[in-house]
Amino acid sequence: MSIIDSPAYEIAHKVKHGELSAVAVLEAALERVAAVDGRPGTLDGGLLTDEDQAKVHAFITLTADRARVQAEQVDARVRAGEDVGPLAGVPVTFKDLYCLRGVRTTAASRILSNFTAPYSATTVERVEAAGAVTLGKVNLDEFAYGSSSESSAFQPTTRNPWDPARVPGGSSGGSAAAVASGQGCLSLGTDTGGSIRQPAAFCGVVGLKPTYGRVSRYGIIAFGSSLDCPGPLARDVRDAALMLSVIAGPDPCDSTAATVPVPNYLEEIDRGVKGMRIGLSPDFLRIAFPDPHTGEIIMEDLADEICDVTLRAADKLAAAGAEIIENIPMPNSAYGIPVYFVISRVEASSNLHRFDGVKYGYRSQGDFGDLNEMYRQTRAEGFGLEPKLRILMGMYVSAAQYSEHYYQRALNVRSMIRADFAAAFDPQGDYRLDALLTPTAPTPPFKMGDIYGDSLLMQYADQLTVSANHAGVPALTFPGGLSQEGLPIGLQLIGPDFAESTLFRAGYAFEQATADETWRAVKPRVLTEAGL
Amino acid sequence: MSGKLKHTPERNKEGPMTEYEAVIGLETHIQLNTITKIFCGCKADSWEDPPNTNICPVCAGLPGVLPVLNEEAVRKGARLAAAMHAEVRLVSYFDRKNYFYPDLPKGFQISQFDQALGNGGYLDVPMPEGYVRRVNITKLHLEEDAGKTKIEGGQRLVDFNRCGVPLVEMVTEPDLRSADEAAQYLIRLRQLLRWLGISEADMEKGHLRCDANVSIRPVGSMYLNPKTEIKNVNSIEAVRAAAVMEIERQIALVEAGRRVESWTLDWDDAHNRLKKMRSKETEADYRYFREPDLLPVVVTAEWRDDIIQHLPELPLERRARFMEAYGLPEYDADILTADRPISEYFEAALAAYGGDPKVLSNWIMNEVLRMQNELGLSADALTLTPKHVAGVIKMVEAGTINVATGKALLVKVQESGTAPEAIVASEGLGQVSDDAALLAVIDGVLAAHPGEVVSYRDGKEGLFGWFMGQVMRETHGKADPGKTRALLQKALKGQ
Repeated sequence: MSIIDSPAYEIAHKVKHGELSAVAVLEAALERVAAVDGRPGTLDGGLLTDEDQAKVHAFITLTADRARVQAEQVDARVRAGEDVGPLAGVPVTFKDLYCLRGVRTTAASRILSNFTAPYSATTVERVEAAGAVTLGKVNLDEFAYGSSSESSAFQPTTRNPWDPARVPGGSSGGSAAAVASGQGCLSLGTDTGGSIRQPAAFCGVVGLKPTYGRVSRYGIIAFGSSLDCPGPLARDVRDAALMLSVIAGPDPCDSTAATVPVPNYLEEIDRGVKGMRIGLSPDFLRIAFPDPHTGEIIMEDLADEICDVTLRAADKLAAAGAEIIENIPMPNSAYGIPVYFVISRVEASSNLHRFDGVKYGYRSQGDFGDLNEMYRQTRAEGFGLEPKLRILMGMYVSAAQYSEHYYQRALNVRSMIRADFAAAFDPQGDYRLDALLTPTAPTPPFKMGDIYGDSLLMQYADQLTVSANHAGVPALTFPGGLSQEGLPIGLQLIGPDFAESTLFRAGYAFEQATADETWRAVKPRVLTEAGL
Repeated sequence: MSGKLKHTPERNKEGPMTEYEAVIGLETHIQLNTITKIFCGCKADSWEDPPNTNICPVCAGLPGVLPVLNEEAVRKGARLAAAMHAEVRLVSYFDRKNYFYPDLPKGFQISQFDQALGNGGYLDVPMPEGYVRRVNITKLHLEEDAGKTKIEGGQRLVDFNRCGVPLVEMVTEPDLRSADEAAQYLIRLRQLLRWLGISEADMEKGHLRCDANVSIRPVGSMYLNPKTEIKNVNSIEAVRAAAVMEIERQIALVEAGRRVESWTLDWDDAHNRLKKMRSKETEADYRYFREPDLLPVVVTAEWRDDIIQHLPELPLERRARFMEAYGLPEYDADILTADRPISEYFEAALAAYGGDPKVLSNWIMNEVLRMQNELGLSADALTLTPKHVAGVIKMVEAGTINVATGKALLVKVQESGTAPEAIVASEGLGQVSDDAALLAVIDGVLAAHPGEVVSYRDGKEGLFGWFMGQVMRETHGKADPGKTRALLQKALKGQ
């Protein structure tokens, strides 16, 4: 086993105490990238070779030189007796929506393919200041618009380390796949409707969507600004807590970043679940989708293996001292996807306005007599299918004559979804939950190409995650077991505002309770096939 | 000019003469004089800065940036709202106004739409003819300014320096009835903005920008006809000229049996003419929605009440008080409230002087204002204090010095900073009112000019003033004019 497969927590501890050099950790990480990642995503990446189809392709930009300088600095500071920080020498990756000063930041789109950020995101600054080593920028769905990472303009797109014929999920697919395959220990992703949790579940890692406002959004290319939550992907709950403790907190550059004090997540993590009230909801053990012709909501139960993993986890938590409360009603979550369709697209289309060929990024070549023609050509060539679909949808439902019917209504339903959570978590209410336990995704990872192209069906991969974004509440996903086909199944714990610590405690307790189970020893196929 | 316009077209001699009135609403953009921009830390004022040197990732709209609201912009906006008698909303929102233009780096402007900081309001504008026009406000909101573009050498150039400068957009109801009324509104608005200290309100520098919506209708009717929007009018005189021209054009059109179309017109200042920019048949859809990157603007009732309580007495209120409390003519009151420093100067001087306000008004309007204009200083920047002015007038009234000496003395105080009483003492400027001393001077003058004395005595009485001047010259202006006049008359008559 390579050092890179160790928890970040342990690596940082050893580096800090001079037991391990940051350079050695970095070399192990780069070695892993060389072994499993294959070629990075590029524009016009060409046809996939057989070899391509067996690799992960997490990266768009590998920043090995920058990483080496950082690692050497960490080691020098350790030798000088300085406190390097809680992420000392830990190799990290960033979803390529995070601005990193002096490094290309593409959003996996042609329109930003030549954009070098002149500043770093607040989160990036905090992570680097904590002693982390930036391994690179990882792939995603174009502008984070998707749930499979297949819509990236940078090809080959990321593949699932557990089965490279399958998607890693999305949009933070590169982050999840990188962490799962040991290409770095931690990654920062973003979650607008499930974009951290669903790929984390698909790749068998831990992912946290923090409370809206817990982590600054400054410097992260926006998708749906009222929904976007930056958060960590990690291989275990403790590492996710470690990363959150570094990035959480107020930011003078983001007025929506909360000033609520940040607790010591690591100190609280092993306090167990004794007395914790954890709920199960039938509304999260089925999917609901509107009939395309009648608009009527049709309910369908999730596959047994997904439900079984969830219920087994409830038993484990109960055995560890939690109280399980069943039949929590979450009726409005059934509307999560339609509401998300409207709100996220209105915000997305507006957020895409700035990509117009005037200031930075791609501009269509040509002699344009007319300004509007330049806009049209640039955006036609620069944006892929998903941004275009979202612009169309977003512009439509926010138009003056439709806004009341769609956008305002969606906002109302969003409040109702939040009210469901408020009722479930109300300390004086009927349920008084500390957390709600659900599956993370309705299915295990699906095959590449199976769903891509059907924008609507793809959206339903977020069915179980999106409600937390509407409500703004935190949600943690962690591996719950494997499917019959040996694919990861993720579980989700959703808590009230700023209850990340509770979620970490419960997730950690589940990890402890299942540490010896056989499925925990199973590694992603790309690692075993590479003899790693 | 009242609000009514008569027009007798050549071609319509047979029909009844229609009297038209103009219906004008003004959209103003007011640049607030905050130190930094509204959503970032760049300095707000970029006057004479080279293009794109006063920008940062936030105001240049780079990917990933977020706005952070400048509280001072809210405070200044709220002061204006309060001064306009508008409700200051305790909760207001920022919204995105989406459109594409190269000077708008985010592709949307952060503005306020349906729940703006100010709600309602009005300004009562006194017209020179004596009536007061109440101009109601339909919109008063905060927003960020856009940049500037220009075409040069076949290229479109963009300067983002102005992006993010805090603006208040304030729109009136169509309550103005003539070009002159529109001009008066702007004069009073500019005065108010400077009075409150929230904007330099210099139209030439774009601190105060105005678009005018103009239509006409027969006098007495209540409906609104299609309007045209005149843009790019950057002086009060231009607003007046453009509105006059547009009103005449619309009347001529209607009289010719044609329809006024909803055009947007561009005022060409260099050639004093209006140019059609575009037809405006359909309203643009800006797809407004709440700006998710900013929290609602929540102010407490205490904060708002504090703003209202700390508003200064407003210029028009002070103008009315000067007339009422001090019995000043409207003309004087208007001039003495032209700006806040002069009005405060007047009141401070009056407190020190304690005499007839009109006497003081004359001194200030003639002497202090002239000095102020010559030096290019506002009243509060003069070395000559209100107390000095009061001291000089009191010395004149006590007969210690004469009026001419008093006027000269004001200049000396301004130049030296020395109190007027001290200058009078040290330079011996005290008035010569001693009969014997004056007679000695008069005798000397008469002896030195026998020819003029003969002429005077032969009936050329116009020479009296010349003799007065000679005496004054001899006494360096210190002769008491009343006494000199009496003594000189006697001496010339040979008495």
